[in-house]
Amino acid sequence: MGIAVEAEDLRRTYRSRTGWARARRTEVDAVRGISFSIERGELFGLLGPNGAGKTTTIKMLNTLLIPTSGRARVCGYDVVADTREVRRRIGYVFGGDRGLYDRLSGLDNLRYFAELYGVPPREQKRRIGELLDLVRLTGRERERVEGYSRGMRQRLHIARGLLHRPEVLFLDEPSIGVDPVAARELRGAVADLAAAGTTVLLTTHYMAEADELCDRIAVIADGAIQALGTPAELRARAAGRVGTREPTLEDAYVAIVQPS
Amino acid sequence: MSGLRLLTVGGVIAYRALFNWTTPGMFVGTLLVGPLFQLLFFAYLGRQLQVADDRFYIVGNAVLAASLACVFGGTMAVGNERRYGTLGHVLLSPRSRTAIFLGRAVPYAGNGLLIAVTTLTGGALLLGLRVPPGALPGLALALAVGSLSCACFGLALGAVGLRLRDIWVVSNVSVAVLLLFTGVNVPAAALPGWMAAAGRFLPITHAAEAARVLAAGRGIGAALPAIGREVAVGAAYAVLAAALLTVFEAESRRRASLDTL
Repeated sequence: MGIAVEAEDLRRTYRSRTGWARARRTEVDAVRGISFSIERGELFGLLGPNGAGKTTTIKMLNTLLIPTSGRARVCGYDVVADTREVRRRIGYVFGGDRGLYDRLSGLDNLRYFAELYGVPPREQKRRIGELLDLVRLTGRERERVEGYSRGMRQRLHIARGLLHRPEVLFLDEPSIGVDPVAARELRGAVADLAAAGTTVLLTTHYMAEADELCDRIAVIADGAIQALGTPAELRARAAGRVGTREPTLEDAYVAIVQPS
Repeated sequence: MSGLRLLTVGGVIAYRALFNWTTPGMFVGTLLVGPLFQLLFFAYLGRQLQVADDRFYIVGNAVLAASLACVFGGTMAVGNERRYGTLGHVLLSPRSRTAIFLGRAVPYAGNGLLIAVTTLTGGALLLGLRVPPGALPGLALALAVGSLSCACFGLALGAVGLRLRDIWVVSNVSVAVLLLFTGVNVPAAALPGWMAAAGRFLPITHAAEAARVLAAGRGIGAALPAIGREVAVGAAYAVLAAALLTVFEAESRRRASLDTL
């Protein structure tokens, strides 16, 4: 199998300065030394409350941020030293309304990012067609993105993330704001990708989604990993806290991030 | 070949994505009609004050007309990534930043050339300026070089716009500075020394000088030195834009200083 993503004692401190005459400096330790590895083809979940360090972790792994200390490798390449090699092998999908060119059509958004992500010109048309089918935007691809619903935008984000057939896909809250039917289809598409061998790192606030999809899950809070295991192993940690019923992943999550 | 494709195809798609004035109303009103009235204003003012003849104003303002599309366009070509929240997705590209961003200047330069030619034609027809037919190819070259140089200047401002939230203030001031410092409406010899000196480091100045030489029928040979200086100014701004983009991207990875997502 092999390792697709490795993080070793990864740390990130944000330093900011406010004011000019009496400058005030603040430091926030967003990620405090986390270590984990993801096998090739594994679907790995990263759960945690807002501000826990999930997005910062992903930004370090996808090369947008340099770790303050520690190291990380993606597909064997160092995220600081081998930036270009890492970028060739990763896709990134970020949940939310922004991140697309509103005045372009969905098709032109994909055409532009196909150029940026190095999809060979001969393959672009076929690849974009495949992805439009995958995310069910065929027939709507020539409409301007400004008229797309949130779910359509989210599906376009996913298509963009897959344009260059990445080996590792980072999905940062991809189902946020998506209706239940679209979210179910999204989960199906993610599961298919993992089944086809794509390594996926997923962050989400939806426990059922993580429970259904993930091979393993890390729960992160205050910038540190609080628990790591399969969904069944995490659920077992909440046994005895919920009376006689079977504990859910949500029970386990609450028990981990809010220990009594 | 694929680098050239990124420059051309990528540049054109980015132009459509990021330039705010592509609707017919905005384009015609802001970029074609506005500069023509500006030309007429300065030409009539020049007649009244007897500072210079019509040719001085028509040719100078035609070259300057490109600046609106090029300065604001160049700024939008980079700065608007922030507006759409797309910067992070662009920075995740493994491809050359020079090809991605400098390619964006080309459509704006083409746009500027179209505007400059339209303004020159309109001004010449309305005010009765006769340009020697043999001067037209040289004039087209001078206008094209001025537009490209100005687009690179705009791109440098756009790069600053990645860090500076209110970059439009800088773009507005820059357009006013070009109006005054480049000698298109006030002869450089009549400007205070420091203004004329600063003008030599701005786009448009040397292209306007070359265009005037050509419109006077003095031939391309007489205009080439000024065209060469305009090329040098444009190249300097292109290098500055590339350097700023490189520095800001590297700094953003270290300090999270850009709105990448």
